[in-house]
Amino acid sequence: MPYTVLSHTADTGIEATAPTLAGLISELATGMFALVASGGVAEAGLTIEAMVEAGSVEDLVVDVLSDLLYRSEVEDLIPIDIVITLSAPTNALVRAGGVPIADIEVLGPPIKAVTYHDLAVEETPDGWIGRVYFDV
Amino acid sequence: MELRRVSEVVWDLPQEEGMRVPGRIFASEALMEHVQKDRATVQVANVAHLPGIVEASFAMPDIHWGYGFPIGGVAATAVDDDGVVSPGGVGFDICCGVRLIASQLTEPDFEAHRDVIMSELARRIPRGVGKGGIAPAGLLTDILRRGAAAALNQGYGVDGDLERCEELGISQGAALNAISDRAKERGRLQIGSLGSGNHFLEVQVVDSILDDEAAAVYGLAEGMVVVMIHCGSRGLGHQTCTDHLRLMGEAMHRYGIDVPDRQLACVPVQSQEGEKYLAAMATAANFAWANRHILAHEARQAFAVALGVEDIEMPLVFDVAHNLAKIESHEVGGRSVPLCVHRKGATRAFGPGHPELPPDLRSVGQPVLVPGSMGTASWVLRGSDSNPSFDSAAHGAGRVMSRKKAKGVASGQEVRRRLESSGISVRPGSVRLLSEEAPYAYKDVDAVADVCAQADLAAKVARLKPLGVVKG
Repeated sequence: MPYTVLSHTADTGIEATAPTLAGLISELATGMFALVASGGVAEAGLTIEAMVEAGSVEDLVVDVLSDLLYRSEVEDLIPIDIVITLSAPTNALVRAGGVPIADIEVLGPPIKAVTYHDLAVEETPDGWIGRVYFDV
Repeated sequence: MELRRVSEVVWDLPQEEGMRVPGRIFASEALMEHVQKDRATVQVANVAHLPGIVEASFAMPDIHWGYGFPIGGVAATAVDDDGVVSPGGVGFDICCGVRLIASQLTEPDFEAHRDVIMSELARRIPRGVGKGGIAPAGLLTDILRRGAAAALNQGYGVDGDLERCEELGISQGAALNAISDRAKERGRLQIGSLGSGNHFLEVQVVDSILDDEAAAVYGLAEGMVVVMIHCGSRGLGHQTCTDHLRLMGEAMHRYGIDVPDRQLACVPVQSQEGEKYLAAMATAANFAWANRHILAHEARQAFAVALGVEDIEMPLVFDVAHNLAKIESHEVGGRSVPLCVHRKGATRAFGPGHPELPPDLRSVGQPVLVPGSMGTASWVLRGSDSNPSFDSAAHGAGRVMSRKKAKGVASGQEVRRRLESSGISVRPGSVRLLSEEAPYAYKDVDAVADVCAQADLAAKVARLKPLGVVKG
């Protein structure tokens, strides 16, 4: 599994690695929703497509994850098969399928928000590494 | 970090580089052992870096590691001296809080109707993942403007409710254009919903009274069945904090502000961005006041239906917030100055005689509601005369164990079995999630109440024992 769950007294976090920034954001997003739910299959027509523009790679990570949380809540779905395409160093096109909330198995409480606490997004010789904590 | 013990329940973090004031933690030796197991003390020190902070970066006895601010953190900044406001000092769940409702029922009355009451509450209280609110989306605009008063105007609640709410259930300074369309979209379908995580509705019984006078003023008596509700501003608040953290992260550099954790992003209270955040916070807070108000109405209805009566007398004891920043006047250096008091997981605790308290509560001070963990006691305290931390007290038991670790101790089914065998009915949004909120994941709330009393944060009034929980 390319992401790991980080322990926190009240909340939770994940750390992930990937060869590219786009891959890293996808892993972090997948890990974030894996904390909440599993199961179900994407419903045809329940899709996400969003453009997110930020000023830095850290902001891009937070903004993409926050955007997905918003869409998950208002559209009553859990995003799966999340694909990130960078159109510029800090601009991302986000595409995902959606599983209706009613079809999922609940694994954890919904995530309230993405925090900047101890946020890390770094390029290393082996690829990208990222760490994000969530308010639960 | 080196902690210096000042007294039995007071510990100081001496000023180190970058800290504008020392840190001050209220805890017993036993509670301090928990505090030192995570990164909460570092966060107390980090908060001490905020521009304009006065006296100390305080931490209540239920302190634990949060994000940016510790949970249980209190920071007051001098408004007229470039003091800042930080959305991280309020948190994502803006105006999360607790409401306590009294009843005319005794424990035997509840026992005679236990199953039907709990089932009716479970049926009426939306909770868990993806559950919408019970109130019409069309109420949103009025609620954002007028908080609990808007809900009362629509028939939720009874006369007298607002007088028993902090700020009368209406945060002043709200502005519809201060929050984003996304925030409104998230809020529209969640008016009157509990949420998840540590949010709950609990039926409790007053186990013991420790202050007869205050209890009588609050309308509490030994053996009385009460209902406690813990929830906040839901997705609307989360989105509002997210939006403003982003803006402040960019804006603070224009004011020459640097903080050790970006979650502490802040700007001067007296700045365009600061004023806009306070307006947004007030708007989201109005959602939370109304949310608890509507759920309280629903709880009353559930009791009435379960007991087969048309009307039921269940007066509001009080409603408190524990995630807010407020402009209050306090004495600093011998003079009264306006401060922006951030309470992140801390309860306002005005003492006797405070002019902002309703007249009928003024003689004894403000009720301070301290819920324990599911399955353990909760406390009603009252504001003290000489609170040392800008009229702030604890807000709960405070976690000691991560969710991940708690899940490994016992399954949700096992936690439910243990609670039921202790006489506590459980109606969870998800049985699996009960394990994350099990009593062993929290500190001893009695110890937290003890420290509140010893440190003069708040005095004990009544101890409440759970009978049934509707869990988010």
